[in-house]
Amino acid sequence: MRESATAAILAVLAGPARAAEGSPGILDPAAITPREAFLAAGIGAMIACGVTSFFLGERVTERTHAALVALVVLIGGFCLFTLFGLVGRKIPAAGSLVLLGLIGLFKLMNQFEIRRKRSLSDK
Amino acid sequence: MTASSLYFVNWWTDTLIIGGLSIVTWVALLAFHHWADTQPIFWFALVLSLVVNYPHFSATVYRLYQSPDNIRQFPVTAWGLPLIMFGAVGASFWQPNVIAPYFLMLFLLWSPYHYSGQTIGLTTVYARRAGFPIGRRERVALSAFVFSAFVCGVIRFQQNGSSSGFINFYGMSVPAFPLPDWMDAAAQAVMWTGAVVFAGFAFVWCLEQKRLMPPIVLLPALTHFVWFVPGASLKSFWIVIPFFHSLQYLLIALAMQLKVRIDVVDGEHSWRRIGVEARRWGSRNILGGVLLFIGLPAAFSWLPLPLMTTAGILAAAVNIHHFFVDGVIWKLRDTATSSALMMNIAEFAGPGAVDLVRPNVVEA
Repeated sequence: MRESATAAILAVLAGPARAAEGSPGILDPAAITPREAFLAAGIGAMIACGVTSFFLGERVTERTHAALVALVVLIGGFCLFTLFGLVGRKIPAAGSLVLLGLIGLFKLMNQFEIRRKRSLSDK
Repeated sequence: MTASSLYFVNWWTDTLIIGGLSIVTWVALLAFHHWADTQPIFWFALVLSLVVNYPHFSATVYRLYQSPDNIRQFPVTAWGLPLIMFGAVGASFWQPNVIAPYFLMLFLLWSPYHYSGQTIGLTTVYARRAGFPIGRRERVALSAFVFSAFVCGVIRFQQNGSSSGFINFYGMSVPAFPLPDWMDAAAQAVMWTGAVVFAGFAFVWCLEQKRLMPPIVLLPALTHFVWFVPGASLKSFWIVIPFFHSLQYLLIALAMQLKVRIDVVDGEHSWRRIGVEARRWGSRNILGGVLLFIGLPAAFSWLPLPLMTTAGILAAAVNIHHFFVDGVIWKLRDTATSSALMMNIAEFAGPGAVDLVRPNVVEA
């Protein structure tokens, strides 16, 4: 199990490490891969959700804020999935962790924008 | 004490729609469909999709967007979520080989999870109608059974539906989700434990009540088991599973729609009115389904992608949007929803008509 965990961490870190070796120091925007561009768009979408929640402030209910946070989790989860979704092909145990993570994501999304007890600020 | 019917329509209709028809189909395919060619069943399922599967997606969209109140109540679902889906579809169109396979993989894993949620919802509804209380312990046991069956199903679908590690979805190669060998045994152990514990609660209830539990309460879970454990190994069967899932959904959605239209809006309570409302709702949803699954891909046909690729990505997006909206609009904790889900369709025809429906069950 410990070897599997170590291998999973190495597999995760190996990609960025290789990218860093070949990097001249500053990333050339013209040289980014489609996957990196997608991740950048994902980060942008997460920031947009956060900024929306911030500026809406007390004008919306806690439920709306929670839904925006859930969207951030969804976008982040999908970005990670595009990176590590097939890690189970190399490390079978990691595949089960990805599935458990997805089940957690589905469970959380099942609570999306449902009625919640009002907080003090909503009263 | 209120008297309420056990069924949405009657014994035959509910039993067939909730699971009887799908179990009979599975047995028939197991007995008679030995050949590997699934094309005839695929085309048959496609035709059925036009009148059942596609409308079931449309029914969700219709239910959310038919009332401005709903849109105001769920702004992130109504406005934010379509934007996110639009972004995911755009990314998949832009990178059909890098992003689209993961988007489709997400949909193929989320779909059976969504079916599991419906099974738990249906069991809870019928249990409530039968007077069998589903508390925290019962819910944990039922969830253990249902979600472990889902994991078993995922493993079987991925193994039986893939060739060379890829699943064909609308002509696209989606990577099969890799899982370790021990996971099936672990999921089966949890599934059977959940089944035994839930059956124990049901048995104790029968002893206390001095009567048998109505089989309809256990039928959704049994159907779910057939779909995801033995049925998942039969390719000709799992092509038609979405049809049966949609059929279950449409029964409940129709009851809800009748409640909204007949009980709230002024008007006559009669079988004629039920027929008019059902036809109106049905035809709108058939049209909506065609727009979602045929019209939308046609609108994007100018893209430099094969039409099937465009259609597959859009179908995945419509499905994922449906999973969210479903979770929002069908919460049993919501009083309006739970009261509608205790109705029998005959009740909408008039106060006297409910007496036609048997058996009636006294609910505490």
